[in-house]
Amino acid sequence: MECLLGLVGKDFAITVTDTSVIRSITVLKHNENKSRELNPHTLLAFCGEPGDTINFAEFIQKNIKLYGIRNNVELSPHAAANFTRRELAQALRSRSSYQTNMLVAGYDAQKGPSLFWIDYLAALVEVPFAAHGYCAYYCLSIMDRYYRKDMDLEEAKDVIRKCIDELQHRFIINLPRFVIQVVDKDGIREIQL
Amino acid sequence: MLSDIVAQYTQDSTSYHGDLAFSSSNAWQGDVAKQFGQLSFDLPNTGNPAEFLHQYTDVKSDHDALIKLAHGTTTLAFKYADGVVIATDSRATQGSVIASQSVKKIIEINPYLLGTMAGGAADCAFWERELGRRCRLYELRNKERISVAAASKLLGNMVYSYKGMGLSMGTMVSGWDKTGPNLYYVDNDGTRLKGNLFSVGSGSPFAYGVLDRGYDHELQKEDALELGKRSIYHATHRDAFSGGYVRLFHMNEDGWEFISLTDMDDLHWKYTGDAAVTAS
Amino acid sequence: MSRRYDSRTTIFSPEGRLYQVEYAMEAISHAGTVIGIQSNEGIVLAAERKVTSKLLEQDSSTEKLYTIHNNMVAGVAGITSDANYLVEYARTQAQQYYFSYGEEIPAEPMVQRLCDLKQSYTQYGGLRPFGVSFLYAGYDEHHGFQLYHSDPSGNYAGWKANCIGANHSKAQSILKQEYKEEGLSLHEATALVVKIMTKLMDTATLTSDKLEFATLTRGGEGIVHHIYTPEEINQLLKEQGVLAETDPDQMED
Repeated sequence: MECLLGLVGKDFAITVTDTSVIRSITVLKHNENKSRELNPHTLLAFCGEPGDTINFAEFIQKNIKLYGIRNNVELSPHAAANFTRRELAQALRSRSSYQTNMLVAGYDAQKGPSLFWIDYLAALVEVPFAAHGYCAYYCLSIMDRYYRKDMDLEEAKDVIRKCIDELQHRFIINLPRFVIQVVDKDGIREIQL
Repeated sequence: MLSDIVAQYTQDSTSYHGDLAFSSSNAWQGDVAKQFGQLSFDLPNTGNPAEFLHQYTDVKSDHDALIKLAHGTTTLAFKYADGVVIATDSRATQGSVIASQSVKKIIEINPYLLGTMAGGAADCAFWERELGRRCRLYELRNKERISVAAASKLLGNMVYSYKGMGLSMGTMVSGWDKTGPNLYYVDNDGTRLKGNLFSVGSGSPFAYGVLDRGYDHELQKEDALELGKRSIYHATHRDAFSGGYVRLFHMNEDGWEFISLTDMDDLHWKYTGDAAVTAS
Repeated sequence: MSRRYDSRTTIFSPEGRLYQVEYAMEAISHAGTVIGIQSNEGIVLAAERKVTSKLLEQDSSTEKLYTIHNNMVAGVAGITSDANYLVEYARTQAQQYYFSYGEEIPAEPMVQRLCDLKQSYTQYGGLRPFGVSFLYAGYDEHHGFQLYHSDPSGNYAGWKANCIGANHSKAQSILKQEYKEEGLSLHEATALVVKIMTKLMDTATLTSDKLEFATLTRGGEGIVHHIYTPEEINQLLKEQGVLAETDPDQMED
C-alpha cells in the first residue's frame, strides 16, 4: 500500500515517497522517510516488506559509503544501482531474501541525471519515470500522458502534483504526506510542491 | 594451495555480504568478548528453518498450531514535554482463557530503559533481557550509557535475524539519554520506528482513540499520567483480551519511575461518572 | 649476521629492513626494461624482450605486456611466472568488479587490489614475495589517463613517465630531461620511448624480436588498448628509422 514514484527531468531526478507506516488497520507513523542517501549524488528510495526494506537499504548505503572512503572516488549512480541489484540478486538465491522494491535516483557530472527501477526479484531497468506498488496503477498512466523529456523542475512538479492528487482522489489508502527529493548537480535536497 | 593460505589473511574486497567488511569473522578470534558478542539458537534441521517454524507457530492465534503463544494486550507509550509515559494492562490470554491477570508487561531493561510487552510474552521477556545484557556490556566497554536509538537498533537487529521463524514481539523501547526522552517501536518483523506516540496490541485501536484525542505535547505530568491510565482503561473496557491492572511508569531525566498499579475494577467505578462509559 | 634476517620475508632486520623484499626488487632491476610515458593523447608502453631465439614462436604470445581489462594494459618486469599469476589475479579482480558494479574498475582501485595481494606476501609467514614490478597504463572517467608503478613490497604511485627493469635509473634520467612540462604528443612519446630503448639496449637498430609495444588511447567509441603485433612493431621501428635491415646474428643465444 506504499507509494514510490520517480522521474528524470532536464538536469535532475526526483523521487516521491509516502510517509505512512501502516500495520494491519493502524497507521503507526505519519512522518517516516523511506529513502537513504547512498552518496552525495545518489538516492535510494524503497518500499516493501517491513524490516527488510530498511535493513537492505542501510546495508547498501553503508557499503557504498565505504566504497567512497576506500577509493576516494564516489560510485556513479549507474554503478550504485548495479551493486544494489547484484546484492539483492545474491540474497534472493539464499535462505534470506529481501522483499524490497527500490528506485535509485542519481546525478552524474558527466552523464547527467538518471533513474533506475529495481524490484524485489532484482530486475534492474533504467527508466525516464517509474512507480512501485499500487500507486503505479494510477501514476504510470499519468506519467505516460504528461511526461516529457527535458522537463524543468516546475513542469516536473506539475506532473507529480497530478499523481498525488489522483492518489488522494481515487486510492483507498489515505496518504496525506509525501517526501519529494531532488537529485541534481548540487546534490540531494527535499523540496515542497 | 598458496592462494588459500593468503585467503585466510586477506579479505575479499568485492563482496561484503552479510557483515560489513570491517567486522570480519577472523578479527576477534582470540577475544573472550566474542563469546558474549553473538547469541544464537539451534534451528530446526530442515532445508528452510523459517518455513518449518512458521508452519508450527501460532503467531496470530488464528489456527491450531503446536506452538501456542500468549496473546492479547494493550500497551502504550508517548513522549511529551517532561518525559515519556508508559502504561500497560496486565492480562494474558491463551485462546479464550485468561491465563493471568497479573502480568508485568513493562520490562525494566535497566534503570533508564524500559520495554513493553505485546505478542509472545516469553519472546519479549527473553529478548529484552538479552538487550539489557548487551546494554550493560556496551556501558562497560564504552564508559557511557547506550543511547535509546542504539539500544532499540540492537533489539531490532536481534529479532530481525530470526525473522520468519515465529518470534512474536511488539515492543516500545523508551528511555532518557543525552538527546533527552526517546521512544522507539520495535517488532518481530524487524521494523524499528522513532516516534512520539505508539500503542501496541489487540486493544491498541481503542487506546489510540482516547490517547490521540487527549494528547498534547505540553501536557502537565499529572495530566499525562492520567491520560495514559485512562487510555488503557478504555481499551480494556472494549477489548476482551485486555484487562487486569493498569501498570503505569514515567521516564524522567534520571531514569524510570514506577507510578502506580491500579485495579481495573477500581478504575471502572471511579470513571463511572463519565457518561460515555455508563451509557454502554 | 644478516643471514639470520635474510631467510624469512616476514622478519625485520635490526636496521628495520625486509631483506627478501629488497632482494626481489634487486632481481627486478636485472629484468627486461619497461618504459611508460603519458602523452596528451594517451599512454605509451614499451618493453624489452630478453628471451630471443630464432626458434621462438613470435606471434603466439607477448612476454611483457598484458591486457588487464578494457581500459588497462600493464607491463611487467621480473619473474615471468610470478607475473602470470598476478596478471591472472588482476584480470579476475577486474571482472569481479564489473560483475558487482556493471562498470569497468577505475585505475587506482585496480592497482590497489594487486598491491594488497603483493603486500600480504611480505607479511604472512612462509611465503616469498612476488618478484615483479608493474607499469600500468590505465584510464577511468574520474582521472583520465593514468600511469602507475608498483613494486614487490606492494607500494605504488602514479607517474607522468617511468621506467622499471634493467638500467631504469639511466632511463629515468633521460625521461627527466626529455619530458616537457606541457606534456608530449603521442607521436613524441613514441619517439622518446624508442630512443630510450635503443640507448638502453646499446644498439642503433631494433626488431620486433626484442621489443614489445602498446598504447592506450581515446578511440571513436571509448578507450582503445592496443598491443602491437610484431609486424606493427617493425612498421613502427621503420617509421622511427631504427629497424634492423635483416635478422642480426647476435639473436641466437
